[in-house]
Amino acid sequence: MSLLAAGSLAGVALLAVGGLIVALRGGLRAGLAVQAASMALLGAVGICVLVGGDVIGASFRSTIAPAFGIDPLSGFFLAVLALTAVPTLVFARDYLPGSPGARSVGALTSAFLLSLVGVLTARDVTSFLAFWELMTLVPAAAILLARRDRAVRSAVYSYLAITHLGGAGVWIALIALAYHGAIGDPSALVAAGTGAQTLVAIAALIGFGTKAGFIPLHSWLPRAHPVAPAHLSALMSGMMIKVALYGLIRVEFQWLGATPRWLGLALLAIGLVSCLGGVLWALVQHDLKPLLAYHSIENVGIIALALGASLLFANAGNSTWAAIAFAAALLHVTNHAIFKALLFLGAGAFERAVGSLDLDHLGGLLRRMPWTGGAFLVGSMAIAGLPPLNGFASEWLVLQSLLHVAFYRPLGVGLSGGVALAGLAMTAALALLCFVKVIGLVLLGSPRRVECETAVDPPTGMRAGMAVLAMLCVVLGLVPGLVLPTLARLAPDAHGPVLARHAGLVLPGTGSYLPLPLALALAVLTLGLIAMRGKRRAAPAPSWACGQPVVAALNWTSAGFTKPLRLVLEAVLRPRREIEVVRGGGMVQSVTYTAHVPSLLDASVYEPTVRTGLRAASFVRRLQSGNVRTYAAYLLGLVIGLLVLVHTGVLG
Amino acid sequence: MNAAAALVQLAGVALAPLLPGAIQTLKARLQGRKGPSVLQPYRTLWRLWHKSAVDPGGAGLIYRLAPPLVAACLLAALVIVPVAGRAGSFGLGNDALVLVGVLALARFALAAASWDPGNGFALMASARELMISVFGEALLVLALLVAALPAKSTDLLAMSAAAAGGHIWSGPTHWCGAIAFLLVILLETGRQPIDNPDTHLELTMIHEGPLLEYAGRDLAFLQWAGAARHWVILVLAAELYLPHWGGFAAYLCLLVVGVAVLCGALALVETEQAKMRILRVPALLGVGCAIALAGAGMWIGGVGV
Repeated sequence: MSLLAAGSLAGVALLAVGGLIVALRGGLRAGLAVQAASMALLGAVGICVLVGGDVIGASFRSTIAPAFGIDPLSGFFLAVLALTAVPTLVFARDYLPGSPGARSVGALTSAFLLSLVGVLTARDVTSFLAFWELMTLVPAAAILLARRDRAVRSAVYSYLAITHLGGAGVWIALIALAYHGAIGDPSALVAAGTGAQTLVAIAALIGFGTKAGFIPLHSWLPRAHPVAPAHLSALMSGMMIKVALYGLIRVEFQWLGATPRWLGLALLAIGLVSCLGGVLWALVQHDLKPLLAYHSIENVGIIALALGASLLFANAGNSTWAAIAFAAALLHVTNHAIFKALLFLGAGAFERAVGSLDLDHLGGLLRRMPWTGGAFLVGSMAIAGLPPLNGFASEWLVLQSLLHVAFYRPLGVGLSGGVALAGLAMTAALALLCFVKVIGLVLLGSPRRVECETAVDPPTGMRAGMAVLAMLCVVLGLVPGLVLPTLARLAPDAHGPVLARHAGLVLPGTGSYLPLPLALALAVLTLGLIAMRGKRRAAPAPSWACGQPVVAALNWTSAGFTKPLRLVLEAVLRPRREIEVVRGGGMVQSVTYTAHVPSLLDASVYEPTVRTGLRAASFVRRLQSGNVRTYAAYLLGLVIGLLVLVHTGVLG
Repeated sequence: MNAAAALVQLAGVALAPLLPGAIQTLKARLQGRKGPSVLQPYRTLWRLWHKSAVDPGGAGLIYRLAPPLVAACLLAALVIVPVAGRAGSFGLGNDALVLVGVLALARFALAAASWDPGNGFALMASARELMISVFGEALLVLALLVAALPAKSTDLLAMSAAAAGGHIWSGPTHWCGAIAFLLVILLETGRQPIDNPDTHLELTMIHEGPLLEYAGRDLAFLQWAGAARHWVILVLAAELYLPHWGGFAAYLCLLVVGVAVLCGALALVETEQAKMRILRVPALLGVGCAIALAGAGMWIGGVGV
């Protein structure tokens, strides 16, 4: 057995031990430390496999006997999982103790990580599907153990219902693949014909797309992610939806045996709708955690755009750009996992310190919680796609890929590239608007709540977890070119090195993004200008409000800042507002104003579906009378029906 | 040659305030006023440089950091945009999409800074600016896409080289791109009908709003950055959409003429056009997007290529 195989086995065993320590001995902090160490070990194995390009353990097979192994793509996802999980577990060591259900949540964290590792390393259908279902169920159990109110139960119920209905697609796709013997063997499905290929492609798109949070199958995501404990939110938004993308990449890119154009266009369309829809509904949220969850939909959409572009390039026979777009998708997978984990951990720390995440009741936390606030600021700038952080690097690559799609004929493909390019630019601008709002309401200004006045930074472990993730945002932003060639090698059609290794992003035949000199120039210039500015300042003066005194009631709110956009996009967002005026004695006694933006799809798709389902269920209930004679009549009817069918020759 | 181009790029630091100055003077003449001198922006900067800064209550790190960061972003943008088809090797590359990112960073810094003192007018203005920029970004990348089509590259040097000669204007695509880019100029320079740089009414301010609380050298940085934004966008427009022939010197002369003509056009538009209702601006930008997409579509479809 090779060293790497031994390392991965030891990692998995250690991960289980970490869970058992928490579950059996109650050593929460020790158990989480063991889990973090085991994830670091697994991540190291993943990086070795990714860089070395070897396969350890079994390779993919269509049999049902369990088999496990790690190839470079699995290695990449394991490495990303470790990059987010280790800081998250370090954070959880100081975050979990004392919270409700801490011991069970700590043990289930290990089970959740094991199921993620299981999906990534499974080499046969049975274990893949088993771990896939565990990956869905374990966080649901953890959420229910940590919080017991009715709203949470309802959120978990819709999470399970939607992911299981959609998840049927995963079963259909994988069983069809196994039936044709096509798992790990693309030529088998080619032999099975385009019908089978189309079925597998669509089933996988729906199945994995539900779990990844593509619109319109996203509705569970903004409900389930916010109610989990912070470290589980970070892992769910950071990694669980990425593991769904891993499945999507396996099926659509590796086992389909073809790169149909319609699939590329479909991914572009889904990506465009998801990224624009995700960020638009993120903008109108008033609570930090649902806002972050909607941004996960946006970022999954951006990844889908890159994957769609990659398929279109492959279809057009341009393997270099197919690899670049594929690498762009993987780089964004990495970047989003890191900054989304960071933002969810930051939200957890704020909630612990202040007691609420209502955006209109925070404020001034950068000064009072410099560690958390600073890390959160870095994460916000990264997700808003600002240079020189990591979000911009991958968004720049996706923009380049879409721009190059627009160079291709036929007209439909080229134009869809152009439309997607404009859509991604809008998404980036909307994300900027959204995170300016978040930074302003959470970190800047004056405290809007008594608890914010006295908020202090959390203990060392929580600070360390967030600081490491923030540093990763900076490092990956400064030297994205160091990992890009390795990621480009993972593309299905990549033969040999596609890209040369630079610190910056240097692509063939187009402009290049050199973040290191850019960051250096910006830093030196800013510091130089600060030095030029000198210290000549007058005493503070009150802020200008047309001569009125500045009072708390004049504070800007989340809804106020997005008002211009809500007005412009009224037709899409359909905001509802209710004004209630109470009159008494000929005078207005009080006016209450409530406004919210309902989710368009919830109102137009999910609610009618649920209503129809409930109506159908109540109809079916009428069949169940509880009377034995009725059931005997049913049986008699069945037998007669079967006999008639046999007699007419339909059966047998 | 590249050294000369580098010198011109750096000269932009000093020359940029000329552009808003020239527009204001021209506008005054067109309106029958005498107006301020072309050098007025320099006088304003000089005056601000010798005043002390005032921090509003509650202003923190972000508020203090924003003006130098905005100015630094614009300095970086100045060296990313080539001049007359050439650029000095400053090590930042000349990518069009990186330029978009750097300008976005400047916008972010200013908008975040307006949250710090929590001034209502600054926030109103930055909410509007960010709303408009949602549509503005789409328009900008589409206009860049049209300009990138002949070069098949987003390197501004290659894009500028591909726009050389007159033959590129024989098809409809480049015309569509030019029209779209004219809208980009109106938007990014903050001119009427999208924004009014002369307004003294806080309620109508967009670009000027977040500057409201700043004073002294901070305000000088921001005012210079506004002028540099004129330089970056007008030079970029001339790079991508100015028909040009001959070597560096000839191109440079054409560039000067082109930028002067654009300044004149801006002054004329400001004289002729009233400010639009702010909620109508996205429709205007959407029309620009449609024109740019149509241009790109005709290129991809092979019309007039």
